[in-house]
Amino acid sequence: MDALMAFLTVFTQPQLLLLVAAGTFAGVYVGAIPGLSVTMAVSILISFTFSWDVLPAISLMIGVYMGGVYGGSRTAILLNIPGAPSAIATAMDGYPMAQRGEAGEAIGITTVMSFFGGFVGIAVLALLAPTVSDFAIRFQPRDYMLIAVLGILLVGSLSSGSLVKGIFAGALGIGIGAVGMDPLTFTERFTFDIPLLRGGISFIAVMIGMFGVSEALMQLHNIDTPAIKQKISRIVPSFGTIRKHLPLSLQTSSLGVLIGALPGTGGDIAALMAYDHAKRVTKSPSRPFGQGAIEGLVAPETANNAAVGGAFIPMMTLGIPGDAVTAIMIGALFIHGLNPGPLLMVDQPDMFWFIVGALVTANCFMLLFGLTGIKLFTRIVEMPRAVLIPLILLLSIVGAYAVNNAITDVYWMLGFGVFGYFMRHYGYPLGPVILGVILSRLLDDNWRRAIISEREDLGRFFYGIVTSPLSLCLLVAVILIFVSQTPLWTRFRKKESSAK
Amino acid sequence: MQDHVHPHDSARDGSSDATPGGMPGKRRPGELLFTVFLVLFSGVLLWNAFGISGFEALSGPGAVPMATAAVMLVSALIVLVRTLPLPRTTDETVMRDILPPLAIVIVLLLVAYGLLLRPLGFLPTSALFLIAAIKILSRRGWGFTVAVSLGSLVLIYLVFRIVFSVLMPAGIVPEGEMLQALRDLFGGGV
Repeated sequence: MDALMAFLTVFTQPQLLLLVAAGTFAGVYVGAIPGLSVTMAVSILISFTFSWDVLPAISLMIGVYMGGVYGGSRTAILLNIPGAPSAIATAMDGYPMAQRGEAGEAIGITTVMSFFGGFVGIAVLALLAPTVSDFAIRFQPRDYMLIAVLGILLVGSLSSGSLVKGIFAGALGIGIGAVGMDPLTFTERFTFDIPLLRGGISFIAVMIGMFGVSEALMQLHNIDTPAIKQKISRIVPSFGTIRKHLPLSLQTSSLGVLIGALPGTGGDIAALMAYDHAKRVTKSPSRPFGQGAIEGLVAPETANNAAVGGAFIPMMTLGIPGDAVTAIMIGALFIHGLNPGPLLMVDQPDMFWFIVGALVTANCFMLLFGLTGIKLFTRIVEMPRAVLIPLILLLSIVGAYAVNNAITDVYWMLGFGVFGYFMRHYGYPLGPVILGVILSRLLDDNWRRAIISEREDLGRFFYGIVTSPLSLCLLVAVILIFVSQTPLWTRFRKKESSAK
Repeated sequence: MQDHVHPHDSARDGSSDATPGGMPGKRRPGELLFTVFLVLFSGVLLWNAFGISGFEALSGPGAVPMATAAVMLVSALIVLVRTLPLPRTTDETVMRDILPPLAIVIVLLLVAYGLLLRPLGFLPTSALFLIAAIKILSRRGWGFTVAVSLGSLVLIYLVFRIVFSVLMPAGIVPEGEMLQALRDLFGGGV
């Protein structure tokens, strides 16, 4: 009963309802405007909402998250520029549809499918998270440590980039998180005797730098890309179309939830994998893939929104983020004095059900805003980048400054922005850095707890791992990721794909 | 500035974790230097981490930092070994594709922003920043630049100062008095 009340909080408090609506609306535009990403928006939002109560702050962020994951598809379809990373796959078939004058239909299908996927994700979250958290209470410190390592490794291994670069990025993040005084022994770590570093580096400055400033700098490369105007026709798809793609959308939604729930990997990877899946299982697509296949829209769009619900599962049950945005939300919960993890689910189940309620609301608003206001939308998206980039930079500065009222944070943000800019040029993923920063403390604490409980004996530590089924599974997963990158395995994969 | 017309292959610029950018099988300009920097940086970190508590205890405060820095060093070295033999891209230069003058100018503007924020205050500094940045990027007339800059600055200020109650340095602007005057105007002095 309490759960139901908590679930309904959003609906009964007009202020929260309004915030979710405003967040979702803003999210659709944030996602749609190339150069503005959800991760960036949520990191900037933390610094603006940290003086608020926790419920309004979370409501707004959830709205932006849900809307933003969807919003990227619009620009992908209309302009062939994915507005958000999660819409990269959507452009492959969405834009060809728009070129045939079917932009309206493409947007309609995308919206309905995003709603469907979002709903599947939330349902799985609501059904599964309580069970997972019951189970998670029995997790040992070493299991937490292994899950954190797994999360940092997964991004590198599932993306199209290089695992080594992903590992470097993750380790860098852990290192950044360790800067300052060690909370247990008050020893200085990575401070280089600079007093300023004793307090550590503000993770918000790191995040805004990596996702805001580096993106803005990157956008300088395509500052003159002209916008193409589109005519919008029929929007709401027919029931027949939806029913026809139900089996595929169920499969790709499930895939999306799973990828979302894996620590570290989010909607962008889910969408690409779902697109790949659709290409393999669809025998007769409406048109060949890449030329405007509806299946090519259904798969990534269901998957990326399903990944939202999925990403909350490890975040709420283990305190381990499911993707970069939930990593930032964990930071927000910390700031508000909450400690996400199995105990949060036990001590404050209301918080969990509130989040589920807010997600459902955001998903409904997404459907509403997705099917309306497309004319206004095309106009706003055509905002020239020459104006947009300075505005993003100004917002980033305000965001970085506002948390501690410190100019130093602005310089950290700028430093990490420039560093992130080079990382992107040379193929290093940025997600693992943020994940590392957020997980640094958890990893350090749990390692020390685990090794102290084994009396500093590495042999006993490994014996503990191989005798516990859960720890063993996690260790095997970590090892598999490494094996999958060895030359032997790649040769095997190549043989397999050439045999097809 | 010629980078405005150069057709830039944006697939090489990392856009997300799923597609991190770079060029497989090729070495982009500056990539080697960056990798060498990462190796040296990781080495310095490892040395520093060793100084925290050495090999005194597995649960010591320096254990995780040392492991982390070691992982960074090893992975950076692997990247270096893999990058070294790669042929350089032939169609790119540092000035055009990696660090165009435009990016340097914008970064310098940001540094200037940081320097001026305290003494001048949020409103004048932001106005100067927006006007300079929009003018340089859009290459439109002064009328457009100033109108767009000031218009969006007022909007940002109202939203963040009033809705989010974010306090930025007032500097030379008598912000408190201005807000009070506004309140008096609308609230009839309440």
